[in-house]
Amino acid sequence: MNTTNTPILSARDLRHSFGPTDALRGIDLDVQAGEVLAVMGPSGSGKSTLLHCLAGVLTPDSGTVTYSPANQAPRDVGGLNEQERSRLRLTDFGFVFQFGQLLPELNALDNVSIPLLLAGIKRPEALRRSTVLLERLDLGSMSGKLPGELSGGQAQRVAVARALVTAPTVLFADEPTGSLDSLASENVLTLMLELVREAGTTVVMVTHDPRSAAYADREVIVRDGAISAGYRIPA
Amino acid sequence: MNNSLTLLGLLGREPSYGYDLKHSYDRYFGIEKALAFGQVYATLARMVRDELIRAVGEETGGGPDRKKYEITATGQDKVRSWLFTPDTPSETLQSDLFAKTVIALLLEDDADRLLDLQRAEHMARMRELTRAKKDAQLLQVLMCDHGLFHIEADLRWIDLTTARLTQLKKELQHA
Amino acid sequence: MNSVLLKLTITGSRSAYGRLAGIAAGVAVGVCMLLLLWGGANGLNARDDRGAWLRETGTPSATYPTPPSAAADPDIDPDTDPAATSEAPTPIPLTTDAVLMRSNPVEVFRDQLINRRDFAALDTTTVSIPGVGAPPAPGEYYASPALQQLIDSTPRDELGDRYGTFAGTIDDSALPGPDSLVIVTGAPEAEIRNSGLNFLVTGFTTDPYGGNAATYTTVLSIGAIAVFFPVLLLISIVTGLGAAERRERFSTLRLIGASPRVVARIAAAETAIPSLIGAVAGVVLAVLLRPVAAQLPVNGTRMFISDLTTGWVAGLIVVTVVVAAAAVTAAYRTSRAGIGPLGVTQSAPETLPRTRRLLPLLGGLAALVLAALLSRTANDLSAQLQTPLLLGGFAFTLVGIIAAGPWLTLLVSRIGARRAHSAAAVIALTRIQRTPAATFRSVSGLVIAVFVVSVFAGASSVIETRPTPTATPGLPQPTSVTSTISTGTTTTDTTSMKDRLEQLPGIRHATIGYGAAAFTEIGAEREIYLRAEDAPSLGFTSIPTTDVVTLDMSFLDTWTTTPVPLLPTPTTTFDRFVPVVIMVDTDGTPGAVDRARTALNTSGITGTPGTTPTDLELQSSARLVQGLAVLAYLGMVIAVVIAGVSLAVGTASAILDRKKVLGLMRLMGMPTSTLRRIILQEAAVPLLTVLTLSIGLGFLVAWLMITGIDDSYTLTWPGTDYFIALVISLTLALAAVVATFGLIQRNTTPTTTRFA
Repeated sequence: MNTTNTPILSARDLRHSFGPTDALRGIDLDVQAGEVLAVMGPSGSGKSTLLHCLAGVLTPDSGTVTYSPANQAPRDVGGLNEQERSRLRLTDFGFVFQFGQLLPELNALDNVSIPLLLAGIKRPEALRRSTVLLERLDLGSMSGKLPGELSGGQAQRVAVARALVTAPTVLFADEPTGSLDSLASENVLTLMLELVREAGTTVVMVTHDPRSAAYADREVIVRDGAISAGYRIPA
Repeated sequence: MNNSLTLLGLLGREPSYGYDLKHSYDRYFGIEKALAFGQVYATLARMVRDELIRAVGEETGGGPDRKKYEITATGQDKVRSWLFTPDTPSETLQSDLFAKTVIALLLEDDADRLLDLQRAEHMARMRELTRAKKDAQLLQVLMCDHGLFHIEADLRWIDLTTARLTQLKKELQHA
Repeated sequence: MNSVLLKLTITGSRSAYGRLAGIAAGVAVGVCMLLLLWGGANGLNARDDRGAWLRETGTPSATYPTPPSAAADPDIDPDTDPAATSEAPTPIPLTTDAVLMRSNPVEVFRDQLINRRDFAALDTTTVSIPGVGAPPAPGEYYASPALQQLIDSTPRDELGDRYGTFAGTIDDSALPGPDSLVIVTGAPEAEIRNSGLNFLVTGFTTDPYGGNAATYTTVLSIGAIAVFFPVLLLISIVTGLGAAERRERFSTLRLIGASPRVVARIAAAETAIPSLIGAVAGVVLAVLLRPVAAQLPVNGTRMFISDLTTGWVAGLIVVTVVVAAAAVTAAYRTSRAGIGPLGVTQSAPETLPRTRRLLPLLGGLAALVLAALLSRTANDLSAQLQTPLLLGGFAFTLVGIIAAGPWLTLLVSRIGARRAHSAAAVIALTRIQRTPAATFRSVSGLVIAVFVVSVFAGASSVIETRPTPTATPGLPQPTSVTSTISTGTTTTDTTSMKDRLEQLPGIRHATIGYGAAAFTEIGAEREIYLRAEDAPSLGFTSIPTTDVVTLDMSFLDTWTTTPVPLLPTPTTTFDRFVPVVIMVDTDGTPGAVDRARTALNTSGITGTPGTTPTDLELQSSARLVQGLAVLAYLGMVIAVVIAGVSLAVGTASAILDRKKVLGLMRLMGMPTSTLRRIILQEAAVPLLTVLTLSIGLGFLVAWLMITGIDDSYTLTWPGTDYFIALVISLTLALAAVVATFGLIQRNTTPTTTRFA
């Protein structure tokens, strides 16, 4: 990790509130390209809100999120309109959540191929790429199964495949192993990080589980809407 | 747990007699095993020698129990550096971390930061173990897991303590 | 039941109240419609009962001597058998308990048929005419209020002169509806006797249907089924509102210890309460809307408001049945859903529809085919079987379409899913493939509506496409008015008649046709003689060069379609003949035609009233079906509106039930436009699949039913009304789906989705 580079994601003085509740109270955070960052913190600390702001799901009340991928001009994520942000999330970002993220009616292969179809790739090509990825995730034999027929760990690996199938620059994961047992968690994270490091994908992973966070390169703690004292960017 | 640094930390609040110091210590940390007077006086003598503390206003020129001690600048530095130097995760760590947290709260120092530093240290060790697991023999994986789960237990305690710091501080101040 | 549990289920979130309000509103609309329709059906019956007396045909007013040879050989046609013409009939004299009645089959004003009855009675008569009392004196008349208004607002020489002096209005109790055109006139006995269309009447029938009863009730019942079915569908859809959300609440109840029975009972109570509120509101609404509904013309006339009154018993029955049905259905659905303490398994697959779902549809069609075949073999058994077969077949076909819909939807989505290329298509088609029944349910209303509309459009096309008569040489001119001349009329009478007519504005020419004897006389012959110079005014182009020409009397028959030729005849005078017919050529304006009718009908020398070739349409026997077309359009409007509402409801719940997954899709960067396309396709696929079928089946069923009722009816292309209705239905469907787009935007905002 080369810290002299411009961070791929850089948040400055992010503030956001939901009604009377201040979810973020001035967050500064840099995420380096290719880095795997764990965002930890107690429930309700604002870590998911931070992830949403970084990924352009939420527009912060104030502050900036600058996205500076290699060979591209930096963009202020919060300044993009809804359509541009959707496009950015589709092409540059990938998402993995705790559970319930797969379309229950679609089989594993179709679930993985949806982002490619959305990006305008022809279906045969989309299915081909999805198959390759599923095989990398040890799911070659599961591609015809419905999400309801998969185990939690398998479903989560399908979700990882779906998130990575578009070769995103940044992968956002929100409690990706939150509903899995230790072994399944390990399995999912190992395979995910193997693929991620191979491709040089940056990862921002929200988790409250230290063993999952231990797969990251570093962690930050969010507490009461701010980065906890020991993890702040040195002034 | 480092008794001498804990006593030094307690002295950091205000100058006090050896006798009071022993009772303070027992109240916060001696729930299971109280400190012996002899041990307190020996430690105090050693700290005077190391110029971490000094005796003030010797009354009746009597024995050590009639002496009031106060912390020196060197002593204060020593306490701070102790507080904010995270320990290598180990099974005996918790009692020391506990002492550090209480002392930090008593000294009205940044207990949050102390816990964060310790957490970072723990996380670094966990990363190390996690990396070691990769491509390792199953036996070694199991060993690493053993370490990981113990460190995780510490981390959970750290998380919980962090969450309770405000309440803890209130209780200590009223104690 | 535990009232705390009930309270827990019913009260709560705002969306729960919204759901309850939706159920109440839907049930209110449904009950209101049911009551109005019930009232309408009652009203039609009451109307038919009141109009029954108009069906009285009486008994012959004269005795005809039995020709011995005719009795010996029934094959001999008395009209052409010289033996039959030997003796004149003997008139039966009037008594105090019998009056002489002339029922005029084609009393027409503009394009409206007037029910006219002329009476001659002794001064001492005891016969009472419904709505009038004692028969009017000669030269006086009683008219229905609607007709009297028409008379007053029209120049007398076009209408009023036909009837004489106004004596009073006919009471509502003898009128089918407020728009009925009925007139009762008094006439001298001799005039009626000479007209040849007279009967003796001692009392008036109360049987409203006569020979048509079966057909009439069949058509009415089919109309009722067609209109009630969508209403029931609406009630069924609204009571199922928000089922997914509710299941979560129920599983919480199961978790805290409620048994499945208790949960089913709570579901029943929870649906029954808003249903009851809605049903009571529906009754109130029906009472309020009655005057509005009465304004709708059904079968040619509006209703009396009192006809639509159903009484409190009907109201009570509808409320009870609807509430009970809603509660039982809710309990049944809940117990079927298999709600456990941990909720319903989210991905519990729908049982895929089997091919046997086609059975009701095939059964229904088979019944209709059988009915159509039976109508070609006239015997008692087949006549008895026909009505149940038609009704059963229609009901089964309706149910069958609903049953077969999911299966067809599955078939199409399976084929489509394999070929899909866009994300929206893959998601939509795969979802349909997994949940064909749920998906079809949301469009079922519209599919049924289109089916019903197609059936009625097909059925009413029977009449609507009858070609308007055009001017053809050899056939009566469409603008001509023709009347037969009654017995005993002299040439002097007809000549002065002709002169009077030709002075009226808009009347170009009057032609007198001569024959051996008046058409009602036994000595009448088929040939009509007329002057060659009159022929051009009758539309003939090829005229023989003789002074007098002849043509066959079939020229006067409205059913004649091949031109009748003019033939030369050596006769030069009409000395041996009497005038038998007068044919008036008008300029075709409605005023002129009605002036001609009025002049002819009041001349005292005409046997039948003046008719034009277009009058036939007004009295066709198929008019019964057409009259009910209004009911059909009413049903159509109701069905289409309900279908639109249910589609919107169905689509909305398809979105709400998948809030979370769709929210995640948006978070992943799926544009809202793709979500919209998913929702559109989920509605379009089942709709278009079954719509084609609905249209085809609609016309097939219409054809089967029409030929099942009477095999002489034929079916042609539907009118533009139908295509307009179809376009409106599809537009409404589109609007219903588009209206839910707002929901997509609001409910799938990634940030409102709690996913961690």
